[in-house]
Amino acid sequence: MTEPPSTNVEELLQRLLGPAGPELGCEQCFEQLDRYVELELAGVDADAAIPGMRAHLHGCPACDEERASLRALLSRAG
Amino acid sequence: MASDVVREARARTRAVAPPAGREAARSLDSDSQAWLAALRAHGVRHEQALARLHALLLGAARFEVARRRATLTQLSSAELDDLAHQSADDALVAVLAKLDDFRGHSRFTTWAYKFALLEAAVKLRRRPWQTREVALEAERWPDLADAGLAPQARAEQSELLAAVRRAIEEELTPHQREVLVAVALNGVPIDVLAERLGTTRGALYKAIHDARSHLRRRIGAEGFSLGSGARGGKR
Repeated sequence: MTEPPSTNVEELLQRLLGPAGPELGCEQCFEQLDRYVELELAGVDADAAIPGMRAHLHGCPACDEERASLRALLSRAG
Repeated sequence: MASDVVREARARTRAVAPPAGREAARSLDSDSQAWLAALRAHGVRHEQALARLHALLLGAARFEVARRRATLTQLSSAELDDLAHQSADDALVAVLAKLDDFRGHSRFTTWAYKFALLEAAVKLRRRPWQTREVALEAERWPDLADAGLAPQARAEQSELLAAVRRAIEEELTPHQREVLVAVALNGVPIDVLAERLGTTRGALYKAIHDARSHLRRRIGAEGFSLGSGARGGKR
């Protein structure tokens, strides 16, 4: 969440260089987020169903936090 | 719920056309269909649906606040709850404005939740930065001497890091450099930077994505092998 970034070099390089390969943008990620999380929770291969989503979540901490929140909320709600 | 939010929401749903496309309507689960029908109804049924939706969104916003509470110790409980209410109000307006975009690829409630979580997350990221300056120049590069690495690994990472720093200076446009450095090196949340620069998260991420592509291409051309992650070494 809103914490200072790690100074671990490998993590820093990951943040600077991001994921390899094609990825969705933030708007596309938001459009697909509800479907992606429901597929994850259903045990379906969400990454195969929505190509580029996983790469984007690796590259965009803000979108990934929102994915984690939605997943946690749905898990709690049952 | 603030009355002006209800009024605005009501005006928006009145303007919304019936479900867009038979294909979308066919795939909806019964609960989602009931939500859409109630939100598009008139009178008491409509009012009740709006109130239920707002309560749902408020619950999601409070959930997000609770998840981040440990990082927001400077805010009182009342301030946090006010922020949750603002998030729910904004999410209600957003959900109703986008009602025709709902295609039933998830349950309606899951689709609606994400708007509340987004509104709350963005507000919560921005709040601690309201009085802080945003640095667009590199503030700190890590000291590899403190990284606890074996000499060989330290040498490899030092070489790669130096190559990345050169590429940042030489390959990126000033805008790409500022955005990448602020977000990836200085730790400025992307939503904070978007607000300061008067743009969107998506537009900034596009700049970051392009910058990363330039960096990967350059250091690849210099003989570094990165694979799918960022751990790399000279080929």
